[in-house]
Amino acid sequence: MKQLIADFKNGLWKENPIIVLVIGMCPTLAVTNTAVNGLAMGLATSFVLISSEIVISLIKKLIPNDVRIPSYILIIATFVTFTDYFLKAFFPDIAASLSLFIPLIVVNCLILGRQEAFASKNPVHRSIADAVGMGLGFTWVLVALSIFRELLGMGSVFGIQLLGSWYQPMIIMILPAGAFISLGILIGVMNVISSREG
Amino acid sequence: MNKNIGKLVMTLTIIGIISALSLAFVYEWTTPYIEKHAAKARESGIFEVVPEAESYEEVTKNGIKFYEGYKSGQRVGVALIEEGPGFQGMIKLMVGANPANGEIYGIKILEHEETPGLGANITTDSYKSNFEGKPFGEYDVIKRETSDPYQVEAIAGATISSEKVTRIVEDAVDKIQNAYGGGN
Repeated sequence: MKQLIADFKNGLWKENPIIVLVIGMCPTLAVTNTAVNGLAMGLATSFVLISSEIVISLIKKLIPNDVRIPSYILIIATFVTFTDYFLKAFFPDIAASLSLFIPLIVVNCLILGRQEAFASKNPVHRSIADAVGMGLGFTWVLVALSIFRELLGMGSVFGIQLLGSWYQPMIIMILPAGAFISLGILIGVMNVISSREG
Repeated sequence: MNKNIGKLVMTLTIIGIISALSLAFVYEWTTPYIEKHAAKARESGIFEVVPEAESYEEVTKNGIKFYEGYKSGQRVGVALIEEGPGFQGMIKLMVGANPANGEIYGIKILEHEETPGLGANITTDSYKSNFEGKPFGEYDVIKRETSDPYQVEAIAGATISSEKVTRIVEDAVDKIQNAYGGGN
């Protein structure tokens, strides 16, 4: 049980995929312009990560080593396509605003990386703990980044206008440059916190 | 290695078959919902760009699909979906017009991938209202207030998006004019 909690907490902070491992940068920089997008992207990626880690840790002994990468990609692509259809059918607005970035989850290195580093070496229950931790770790950073960018760039959070008409939106914050700036600030702040704890 | 190759092929084939089968089920399950959303978006678009219409009919003319809006049996306008390149991706929009007096009723952006906060403002009423009541023809995009009906006021910081939308609207108007006449 202790092991499971350690596996789970690993992704939240100590080996957080975005701020410590710095992987999965494409969606991190591209879709965090509004809080809704950030949250939806985080949850979609978590779903794919959790389901594929479960399947892969279950069938890892059946897959010959030489074809493990193509097998993983096939399994990941299946779950991503499922997510794509599901969002289009039940959350058409979110699907429209994330558009191309949902299919691109297939090539998010966070997902393939966790299969190689964790699911292919560990039993199912530990893989689930790892996937949930990594997924939540990815999601909370995306949400934090996108709240920061949406607030400064549009004066709103989750589409609710918080800052009044006196506020002149900093449009750069919702453009790609704003993503780099806010990610840099976030990683810097996290490093300060970690070094104090350390 | 050669002995193994059969096993490798088998593994990938089996995974591929299982993936394809499960996706076929998901596809069957979600397609009706996806089509319903598309149809609903199209329908609300038609009533938005041909505001007087109470019912509509799909008509194909010159190989192009038009939506004719009717009010108590009278044709009050025509809507058409037109697509073209924007600043980033494709822009898909609907134009409603009245061929009888050669004027545009209004437009509605159906799909776009323009920059949020800048180009994405093509979906705002203040930009779309540019096209309301415009006579058929070619339009100039300008960066100040418009002074004649053939001008469109660009969105600040998004001149290219404004320009592209205007071109798509011109194409749509062209097609309506070819099929229904109207204007000059």
